[in-house]
Amino acid sequence: MSAVDLLNLVIAALLLAGVYAAMSVGMTIVYGVMKIVNLAHAGFLMLGAYFVYELYARFSIDPLVGVVLAFPVFFFIGLAVHWILIRRIPSSDQPTLTSLLLLFGLWLVLQNLGYLIWGNADRAILTPRTLYVLQIGPISFPAVRLIVFGAAVASIGGLELVLHKTWFGGAVRALMQNSDAGRIVGVNVEKTARIAFGVGIAFAGAAGGLLAMLYSFSPDFGGSFLLRAFVIIVLGGLESFAGVAIGALILALAETFSILVLPASYQPAIAFSLLVLALVVLPEGVAGLWNKRHRLA
Amino acid sequence: MGNRQDLNRLLEVANLELAYETVQVVWGVNLKVSRGQVVSIIGPNGAGKTTTLKALAGLIPVRKGRIIFDGQDVTSEPAHLRVRHHLCLVPEGRQLWARMTVEENLLMGAFSPPLRAKAHQNLNRIYELFPQLKERSKQACGTLSGGEQQMCAIGRGFMAEPLLLILDEPSLGLAPILVEQVFQMISRIAAEGVTILLAAQNANQALQVAQYGYVMEAGRVALEGVSDELRASDHVRRAYLGVSN
Ligand SMILES: Nc1ncnc2c1ncn2[C@@H]1O[C@H](COP(=O)(O)OP(=O)(O)OP(=O)(O)O)[C@@H](O)[C@H]1O
Ligand SMILES: [Mg+2]
Repeated sequence: MSAVDLLNLVIAALLLAGVYAAMSVGMTIVYGVMKIVNLAHAGFLMLGAYFVYELYARFSIDPLVGVVLAFPVFFFIGLAVHWILIRRIPSSDQPTLTSLLLLFGLWLVLQNLGYLIWGNADRAILTPRTLYVLQIGPISFPAVRLIVFGAAVASIGGLELVLHKTWFGGAVRALMQNSDAGRIVGVNVEKTARIAFGVGIAFAGAAGGLLAMLYSFSPDFGGSFLLRAFVIIVLGGLESFAGVAIGALILALAETFSILVLPASYQPAIAFSLLVLALVVLPEGVAGLWNKRHRLA
Repeated sequence: MGNRQDLNRLLEVANLELAYETVQVVWGVNLKVSRGQVVSIIGPNGAGKTTTLKALAGLIPVRKGRIIFDGQDVTSEPAHLRVRHHLCLVPEGRQLWARMTVEENLLMGAFSPPLRAKAHQNLNRIYELFPQLKERSKQACGTLSGGEQQMCAIGRGFMAEPLLLILDEPSLGLAPILVEQVFQMISRIAAEGVTILLAAQNANQALQVAQYGYVMEAGRVALEGVSDELRASDHVRRAYLGVSN
C-alpha cells in the first residue's frame, strides 16, 4: 500500500470518527447523569434520519439546516419522553433491568412506528453535493463527509463549551461524578436529568440526520449504530467525553483499516470484537487508564 | 424556654427517627445548636452520626421528628433547597468531584442561584483564608493529598456562606499533623462567626474545639453536656479518651 493510500484511509477514518463521536455523546451524557443505558437511542437516530429526509423531500430544506433544526425539535421530544416515561424509573447508581427493558421497549415501539409511517423501503438523501469530491493533490475528500465531520465537531465543541462554561454544565459534570455532592450544593437532580436527557436525544436526532447524509436508511436503521455507540462509550469509559472522542477514533480506524484484510461484509464483527476486547481488557475504558492514578483517597 | 433563647437557636432537632429501607438506625435524637457555637457529636462506628447529619442536609428522608433551622421547619424540604438557608454539609469522605479542578469544585459550592452573583468574591475570600487551595486551584481534585481534599471540601461548603457548617469526620484518614491543620481550619472558620456542627470519632479534638457535645451510641443520644464537663465524665474518659482509672 502506498503512502497516499494510507493517508487516504487515515483521513477517511478521522472523518468517520467525527460522526461516530456525535452519535455517542448523547448516550454518554444520559448514562453519566442518570446511569441509564439508553437503548432507545437507536430509535431516535432513525427518527432523526427521517426528520431530515422529510424536510428535504417535502420542503427542500437543506439537510444541513435539517440537522440544525433537529436539535431543538428532538430536545423537546426528549423532554417529553423523560416526562412521560423516564422519570418513573426508580433512581439508581447503576443501570437497572427496569430501565433497560423500558428503553428497549421504547426502541421497538419507535421502530415499528417507523415501519407504519415509512414502510420498509430504503431511503437515501441525495443532494447535488452528495457525490462531489474535493481533490487536494493526491488526497480526495468526499465533500459530504467533510461537511458531516465539520457539523459533528462543531456540535461536540458546543457541548463541551456548555459543559465547562455554564452552571448547567457544572451540574451535569457534578452529577456524572457524584450526585449526592451535587444535591448538597443545590443541584436539582430531577430537573438536571430531564434537561440532560433532552440534550442526549437532541444529539441522537441530529446525529441520525448526519448519518442519513452518508448512508441509506430504513426504520431498523440505528441498530448497528447503537452497537457502535455502545462500543465507543465502553471504550471511552462510559462517562468521559474525551474518552468518547478516543473511542470513536479507535473504532473508526479499526473499521476503516479492516477493509484491507477483511471482506466488507465482516465489518460489523469489528465492533463486536472491540466490545468484547474492551470489556475484558479495559473495563473502565481508555479514560480509566489515566483515572486510575488519580483516584480519590 | 425564654424567647431570647429561641432567637439564639440556629438548629433544633426533635425526636428524629431515621431508617435505611426498613432498618431503623436513629431513634428519637434531639439536638440543639445555638448561633456562634461549635457543637460536636462523638460516638463509635455505626452510632448513626453520619445518618443524622445526612438527614439534616436532606439526603435521607425523615421518618419521624422535626428539623427546625433558623426558625423554619425544613424537615421535608428537598436537599437541593436547603443550601438556600445557608445550611451546608461537608460530607464524610469529602465527596469531591475528582475529575474537576479545585476551583471548579469550589465554585460549584455556590451553585444555588442566590449565591452565584457573589461566587467569585467568596472564592477569593477562601483563597485568602486558605492560600494552599489557591496554589492548587487548577489541579484536578482527585490528585490532591487527603488533607488538601478535606480543605477543598470545607472550602466548598464555605462558598455557600454558611450559617451552619456541618462537618462529618473532617479528620478521617488524615496523618496527625494534617488533623491538626484541619482543626485549625475549623477554628478559623468558627472565628469568622460560622456556627459549626461536627461529628467525629476523634473525641479529644472534637471536644476541644467545641463548646457543647453530644455522645451518640447505637442510634441514640447517650450523653450530652458542655464539652469540659463531658470530657471530665467517667463514661467519656473511659470509652472515648482512652483513660483508664
Ligand atoms: N446506605 C446504608 N444502607 C443501610 N444501612 C446503612 C447505610 N449507611 C449506614 N447504615 C447503617 O446505619 C448505621 C449508622 O451508620 P452511620 O454511618 O450513620 O454511623 P456513624 O456514626 O457515622 O459511623 P462512623 O463513625 O463509622 O462514620 C450503621 O449500623 C450502618 O451499618
Ligand atoms: Mg460516619
